[in-house]
Amino acid sequence: MDSNQTGQQQSTPRPVSAAERIQTVDIVRGVALLGILLMNIPGFGIDWRIFNTIISGSHNTTDYKTLAVIETFFSGTMRGLFSMLFGAGMILFTLNKKETPGGTTVAEYYYRRLLWLVLFGVINAYVLLWTGDILFFYGLCGMLLYPFRKTKPKWLLMLGILCFAIGMLKTMLWYSDTRQSRKEYHAAVKAKEEKKELTEEQQGALAKWQNMEARQKPDSAEINRHVGKMHSGYATIFNYFIPRNSGSETWGTYHGIWDMISMMFIGMALLGWGFLSNKVSGSTYLMGLLIGYGIGIPLGWIIFDKGWAGSYNWGAYVDAYRAPHWLIYDFRRLFLCLGHASLILLIFRSRIVPWLMKGLANVGQMAFTNYLMQSIICTLFFYGYGLGNYNKLQFHQLYYVVGSVWVFQLIFSSIWLRYYRFGPFEWLWRSLTYWKKQPMRKNNGNGV
Amino acid sequence: MYLKGLSDSVAKTNTIMTPTHSETPATAIPSSTPALPLPNSRLVSLDVLRGVAVLGALFISVWIFGGFSNNQQNGLLLKSKGYDYRLFGTVDLLLNGKMRALISLVFGAGMVIYFFSHVKKDQSKAGDYFTRRYMWLMLLGLVNALVFLWTGDMLFHLGVMGILLFPFVRMSKKGLLIAALVTTLIYCGKFYWDFADDRKKYNKFLLVQAAEKKITEKAKKDSIDNIGRKDTSARVMKDSLGKDLKKDSLAVKKDTLTKEQKRDKGAWEGIVNQMKFDPKKDEGERKSVRKNSYGRLWNHFLPTLQSKEAQWTYQKGIWDFASMILLGMALFKMGFFSPGFSRRNYWLLALAGISLGLLLGWFRLHYNQITLQDYGKYIERHWVPYNFFFPLERAFTALGYAGFILVIIGSNALNRFWRGLAAAGQMALTNYLLQSIICTLVFTGFGLGNYGRFSQTLLYLTVLEISLVLVVFSVLWLRHYRYGPAEWLWRCLIYRRWLPNKLDAGGEASATATVIS
Repeated sequence: MDSNQTGQQQSTPRPVSAAERIQTVDIVRGVALLGILLMNIPGFGIDWRIFNTIISGSHNTTDYKTLAVIETFFSGTMRGLFSMLFGAGMILFTLNKKETPGGTTVAEYYYRRLLWLVLFGVINAYVLLWTGDILFFYGLCGMLLYPFRKTKPKWLLMLGILCFAIGMLKTMLWYSDTRQSRKEYHAAVKAKEEKKELTEEQQGALAKWQNMEARQKPDSAEINRHVGKMHSGYATIFNYFIPRNSGSETWGTYHGIWDMISMMFIGMALLGWGFLSNKVSGSTYLMGLLIGYGIGIPLGWIIFDKGWAGSYNWGAYVDAYRAPHWLIYDFRRLFLCLGHASLILLIFRSRIVPWLMKGLANVGQMAFTNYLMQSIICTLFFYGYGLGNYNKLQFHQLYYVVGSVWVFQLIFSSIWLRYYRFGPFEWLWRSLTYWKKQPMRKNNGNGV
Repeated sequence: MYLKGLSDSVAKTNTIMTPTHSETPATAIPSSTPALPLPNSRLVSLDVLRGVAVLGALFISVWIFGGFSNNQQNGLLLKSKGYDYRLFGTVDLLLNGKMRALISLVFGAGMVIYFFSHVKKDQSKAGDYFTRRYMWLMLLGLVNALVFLWTGDMLFHLGVMGILLFPFVRMSKKGLLIAALVTTLIYCGKFYWDFADDRKKYNKFLLVQAAEKKITEKAKKDSIDNIGRKDTSARVMKDSLGKDLKKDSLAVKKDTLTKEQKRDKGAWEGIVNQMKFDPKKDEGERKSVRKNSYGRLWNHFLPTLQSKEAQWTYQKGIWDFASMILLGMALFKMGFFSPGFSRRNYWLLALAGISLGLLLGWFRLHYNQITLQDYGKYIERHWVPYNFFFPLERAFTALGYAGFILVIIGSNALNRFWRGLAAAGQMALTNYLLQSIICTLVFTGFGLGNYGRFSQTLLYLTVLEISLVLVVFSVLWLRHYRYGPAEWLWRCLIYRRWLPNKLDAGGEASATATVIS
């Protein structure tokens, strides 16, 4: 049975030590981790119908500009980078470990780790009450990656694009359904205008579309009820969120999986090519920056301006376009992610802000802790059982909170890692995965 | 013997998750392990159980395939007498959920066997084969659901569970038993939770109803008052005119239900309507399923399929499968399937399991009737839903069946009957897919369009016939081939190469019929 094992495979599986970590991967992860709060903060702090208000109002407000910037440059990209690094992390985790003859296999450790992650996700959603949790989905998606860990980067990229295509197909199926309803609605309206008696089907079509439009209109009673709930105690919000969480975990897993797994495949490919580990030339990163931003930013603006903002007049939008703008959302995301990653690596290589890079690497190394901490900090800041600031800030003011959390996490991570080998939740996660208390303090470790 | 060595090795390696395992190999591994493809010598006990379960499951699946709807079942339960009722009750008691449980049980054992036989061959690749195996199963399930249009497909779920429960394969017997117990209890809890939700809706409905009563009473009173005013003194009217007007304008608001109240009312009424028996209810569904274009059928089934694969899985499916799969793993490690328990223990298990299961099932049907008669009243009088013990019921029954079958086939060499079932079980995947294909062709408009046309008796006779055909087909196929066609395809996909499937006339052929007692 030793025929397939090389001589080195004698050491036991164990967590990746500090020396083996790839700094640029940590830095990009740190940026993604901080950046993800840009997208999550409205979910924590404000009723989502604010978007309707901002977009249908004047375009000269700070709120509108903030939203435009966020949507054009960042929407979906931080999640995208995070997914990419998750995919890359999977390879690093499995390939850095050697099999112990007769012992638990690396695959089992990997799957244990993910099953714990799923559980952490459930806790983050149901207990810490963050309805936008992604850990749950990452845990599940990660389980599908293992057989691809040795696949060639080229094929991984193809797989990623295939997943994009599946997502696009789903979007298109849904959109053409909508267009069909709209067509039937028009026919019914026309029949009504001609004073014809409506058939049962026509009446149904009329009601269906009107219901859909009605659901999109902000209902102030509904908003007040929601905000009231968010200002209540823990038990109320806990109960209030149960159906939301189960709904989003159900449909997110079944329909949203393509969004994440596509980027994970591409991240695995990028690691394979050495892109994330700073192994390609500077000109490649420059190209990545130019192409990524050159294509991603204009697409981002169009999808925001024409697609997102345009579709607030839903009927007219459906009449006007055969396909929705956000059909190409994933490609926009991919290009912007490429741009962001290139920019970060270029800054890293130019060594202009080494202290910031070190800080970001620390944040990235403790990404799991920091992600959960964002939930803890933000729920305590906004929800009723904490400081109760829900829906009290203006949209752009939310980003002051983001800034403060960033500063806190940069400092906290740097201080923590001065004394400890892992972030607190990383330590817990590792200990659970290996079913053994892991060394935590730096000085009792392997002399790092 | 190879198999004995295998289960021993499993027993020895199943120390719980320890990161740093000792350097010594887990067991003395039989040196003559064959190269891929894997063992010919199979656990016949597992094949028989799998065969029984896959064929038996169709008796329940045919309800959906053939259009014996929930509505009709509710009608029979409400009637609670007559031949059809007794037939339905019997099949439900004996098979509903039990066959799925049995499949899961065997599936759990299969996971352990598959993983550790590969670990012994090449530790570094075992994880790959294992995960590929179950990911391909998920895909086969999607094909079964989305192409063969079987809304009740279970392969997808089994594939998902195979991946999800991978971390449990190395767990100790005790750990697995605890895990099985916990998941079973969570499953029970899920039924309770639904019930508690219904209770909340019912209570809200009662409040709305009370409010509504007040409104109508007030309206009545107002109209009487008005008549009185008109008839008698104008003085009262004049005096209180201003006041009354004010009051009225306030009252107007209260005279109709608020949006929220209407929603609360609608929520409960929806539940009650869903449970209500109405002979006309199935007409729409019948018309749709009998539509003869494949595309239309596909569109019709898609939402059902998706909600089965997404919602049902998330809410119930995981626990339904996980509890039995974990139990199957535990039983395998305890030697339940091989080398086996004593005859006495099997008999005890069979007797206790089946009788307990039937008892619980009988209670379930009884309380289901009461629920259907008046759900509101049921909620007022009972603390748990009628199906609260269903997870235990089907576990007991399935265990009882397993014990019964194992003791029967263990007593002597397999006769023709059991050999047929073993063959069907060895080709379970093929047979399961064939069931979908045959039933889609028999029942939907794409084929013969018999959906909703067969009586219950005829449905079960059809199932018997299909089962007979499948058994004969399996026996004949396995005379010439090593694996069923779908199994063979599956293996080729897992091992990424073209595997030989034809048996040589001589020595190899006997392998498929090996009896391990």
